[in-house]
Amino acid sequence: MVFLAEGGIGALGFNLPSLIAQFINFTILLILVGWASKRFLFPLLDERRKRIQEGLEASEEAKKRLAQTETETAAELEKARQEGQGLIGQAQQMSARIQEEARQTARAEGETLLERARSEIQLERDAAIADLRREFADLTITAAERVIRRSLDRKAHQELIEEVLAEAPQGGDGKDGQT
Amino acid sequence: MRLSRGRLIAGGLIVLAVLGFVFLRGPTPAISIKAETIQSFGPIDLTNTMLTSWIVVIIMVTIVYLRTRRRDLVPRGFQNMFEAALEAFYNLVVSVAGEKNGRRFFPVVATIFFFVLVSNWLSLFPMFSAIGLVREEEHGFVMEQADVGPLPLSWVPLSSPSRLSGDSIDEDDADAEEQLEEAKEEGKIVGELIPLLRGPNTDLNTPLALAIVSAIAVESWAIASLGIGYGRKFFNFGGMFRGLFRLNFGQFFNGAIDAFVGVLELISELVRLVSFTFRLFGNMFAGEVIILMFIFLTPLILTLPFYGLELFVGIIQAFIFAVLTLVFGMMAVAHGEAHTGDEKHKEDDGALASEA
Repeated sequence: MVFLAEGGIGALGFNLPSLIAQFINFTILLILVGWASKRFLFPLLDERRKRIQEGLEASEEAKKRLAQTETETAAELEKARQEGQGLIGQAQQMSARIQEEARQTARAEGETLLERARSEIQLERDAAIADLRREFADLTITAAERVIRRSLDRKAHQELIEEVLAEAPQGGDGKDGQT
Repeated sequence: MRLSRGRLIAGGLIVLAVLGFVFLRGPTPAISIKAETIQSFGPIDLTNTMLTSWIVVIIMVTIVYLRTRRRDLVPRGFQNMFEAALEAFYNLVVSVAGEKNGRRFFPVVATIFFFVLVSNWLSLFPMFSAIGLVREEEHGFVMEQADVGPLPLSWVPLSSPSRLSGDSIDEDDADAEEQLEEAKEEGKIVGELIPLLRGPNTDLNTPLALAIVSAIAVESWAIASLGIGYGRKFFNFGGMFRGLFRLNFGQFFNGAIDAFVGVLELISELVRLVSFTFRLFGNMFAGEVIILMFIFLTPLILTLPFYGLELFVGIIQAFIFAVLTLVFGMMAVAHGEAHTGDEKHKEDDGALASEA
């Protein structure tokens, strides 16, 4: 308290009547303000609190619904995906089957064609061999005629050659053609 | 006969008023426009209004700290009230200034509002003007004294039916010296009671400081929005000089009017400071004086309407100070925009005229 003494201020003082009067007045004022607050202000604050509470609850509810919808959507999507996968699998199987069938049909047709071609080749070959034999007989006769320089009975010779050729072994191994 | 509750309350209040008039009348209050110095630190005087404004700041910082440290999502109790008050004020600012400017202006405007409001309402607390330090003098209150531990205590005694007011010695009394000697012989102390706490806005310096802060904020918003060109609002001599150099009397005359209007704008800014200061100071000081005088005249009950009035005036003055800051801020920003628009309009007109 030294500084107070230096400044000429010696004591803490109270204006007791004023202090008590202010205290009582202030207390009554507080009671009145408290009553007014309870009557007018607090309902507004309660309303505000309720509004915030409801807003938050609605927000929570919306979040829950959103999550639920998302789950449901995900499940539906998964189901659709699986169905899709199934359909794709079926389509693939069907495609493979159709391909296999097509392949087999094509192979069968190819073999048929090949067989037919072979038969035709064989026939052609037989015809060619027969022609060759005839040509060969003619040539042989002609050659023999020239060698012996005389005319022989053509019909008899032809029969003779035919007979020889008939005795010769038949086949397409190529060896006959060389003899 | 059954007495109704209202009659009982009315009777009680009358009894209280009479008791107050008999026992609670103090001496004539000493009213000082200047804030009282509690202690001097070199050239700096620590006044009671400074002390109170620090308490106000501490209260506000504490409230903000406690309210922002832990926040419930669903506010209740004081947090609810605090948020509602801030929200209401924020909505008001945004509704006046728009979203962009409102967010920029809000911190300054809200700080002014709540500081003035807390200061005004805090000064209604009972210890204001009633508890203080005693400076012994040859005139003033006549107080009893006692040593309570290391601290000497003085107090103005209660009145009584035989003496319906507290003792005081007036400087102008002819027998002031005799009264002083008599009091000292009775072991009493004579002096001034310097209140420890006093409403900050009852000191001219606090409203002036707030007005300066408000003016700086307004000008800085305007400069931030419009750049240095905002200065043309006050120092608009360009048109006058152009007219002078071109020897165009019409342009010179218009320029001179613009320059004069600029000077008027500057003066209005300064006058605004004065009006801001004295409006708040006048209202709050008058309120303090009224309450002091009514406590002296009719200590209980009849003073209550003035307490209610001061509650109302406290919030109205805080609102006026803050909203005027907001409006002046908007005007400063809008003025510059309008001014820039006018300039552009003039330039466009000039270009059209030259083309023609």
